[in-house]
Amino acid sequence: MADVIHIPLWYLPLLVLLPLVALAAAAVWLRRLAHRQSIAGEEPDWSVPPLASEKGDDSMLHRWDVRCKIVTIMIFSFVIASLSHLAPALAAVGISLIVLAISKACLARVLFRLLALAGFLGILAVVMPFTVPAHPGDTLVVFAGLDWLGLNMRGLLLAATIAARAVAIALLMEPLLSTAPLPVTLHGLSRLGVPEMASQMVLLSHRYVHVFRQEARRMSSGMQVRGFRKQTDFETLRIVANFLGMLFVRSFERTERVFEAMRARGYRGRFPEPVKLRIRPADILIAALWMAAAAALITYDRVIL
Amino acid sequence: MHISDGVLPVSVTIGGYAAGAALAAWSARRTGSDELPKVAVVTAAFFVASLIHIPLGPTSAHLLLPGLAGALLGPASFLAIALGLLLQSLLFQFGGLTALGANALMMGVPAIICGWIFRKFKGRTRLRHMAAGAGAGALGTAMAAIILAVLLATGGEDFFGVAEIALLAHVPVIIIEGVVSAFTIGFLFRVKPELLEHEFFKPTKARHG
Repeated sequence: MADVIHIPLWYLPLLVLLPLVALAAAAVWLRRLAHRQSIAGEEPDWSVPPLASEKGDDSMLHRWDVRCKIVTIMIFSFVIASLSHLAPALAAVGISLIVLAISKACLARVLFRLLALAGFLGILAVVMPFTVPAHPGDTLVVFAGLDWLGLNMRGLLLAATIAARAVAIALLMEPLLSTAPLPVTLHGLSRLGVPEMASQMVLLSHRYVHVFRQEARRMSSGMQVRGFRKQTDFETLRIVANFLGMLFVRSFERTERVFEAMRARGYRGRFPEPVKLRIRPADILIAALWMAAAAALITYDRVIL
Repeated sequence: MHISDGVLPVSVTIGGYAAGAALAAWSARRTGSDELPKVAVVTAAFFVASLIHIPLGPTSAHLLLPGLAGALLGPASFLAIALGLLLQSLLFQFGGLTALGANALMMGVPAIICGWIFRKFKGRTRLRHMAAGAGAGALGTAMAAIILAVLLATGGEDFFGVAEIALLAHVPVIIIEGVVSAFTIGFLFRVKPELLEHEFFKPTKARHG
């Protein structure tokens, strides 16, 4: 049978609620910090896609061949996702942090990515300790008077492992995506065998997300000027639906115009190649080193533990 | 709600990638290569639409729109959703690099089914269109929630509790999606009915040359 530890009821707020409140407060504070850093006084120009050529940063990851980078980080991410113990997952977070430091990524953007994860992982951390079925050998913490509410330490460990894996992969997204302009990354993908049309579509929709976002912002400020405030009621749903409908009407019309303009400029299903890619021995060396780290993690996870 | 990295078993994520790639290829073939750039631009609009938050008591929910995407785009909707998820991981939020395939299945399969249902039942009047839109919107989210729960449950019995709660959390979203989809379809029926009449993206051979 599972080990059961009984502790008095008043520990419940101490052990469960306080950490939750602290976490939520930290998330809010970080969000505010990241927000302040990213805005830096003025409204960013959304019509310029931020992923395409940043300021002239230079690092090992910037110079690394984009194909090697994509393949290595993809394989490494899957390796991280397959780790089943907490310690190797934390080691993976460590490796990701080192890569992040080497790549000189923008910290505010990394923070945003982590904050986007916080909701999902927070729910897991709250739900899993209470819903994981008790197995022999598990440690249950039962609060006096609330016998039905057993906090299973194995669930907490599982949630922590999931969180570590998710954070380790999320930390690699900035080194993967922002160390080269988006067209170059996509060009690397199509040289790896992804259909060229797929990367063209990403490029096009990435461009137009910013256009439509600006349009949506203009429409919603117009609605606010006319006195619309979002509330939990039926009327809000109707107005939001009209807003969506208008957005779609405009975008479908725009789609036709964009496509015709592209054809008029000689688009025949291809964009010009942004760069010539060449693999040097150093690129292979970095990939090999990183893969060795992945192999070490897997060995640690499967053989040693 | 999307699944983040590190939750699903690796076999499921790789299977999700394989199935997602196959469906995306089917979707692209059905759409016709000439129309794909247009799908890309429309995807951008759907992406922006899915960023809109609807207040729900003290919290808010953002729209998922698989049903509406299916109704407006037909078979191209799978491609649009896969693209949207890719954009999401590119731009700012977590889309989950490893869970991308699974997430695309979760939203894209309901979209294809709802598109078919919408076309089947939309009838001729505005009311019928709105009813079909409500059905497609609600069903799309409901199916996405069920697939989410099933995917989570592949992690073993430890995840059953999470899957159950995820399913319950979607109930208010299902209602909101149904209502919003109905009104959006109603709006489009008045303003630009040709968007609802036929498949917007259809393979045309005559356009070549």
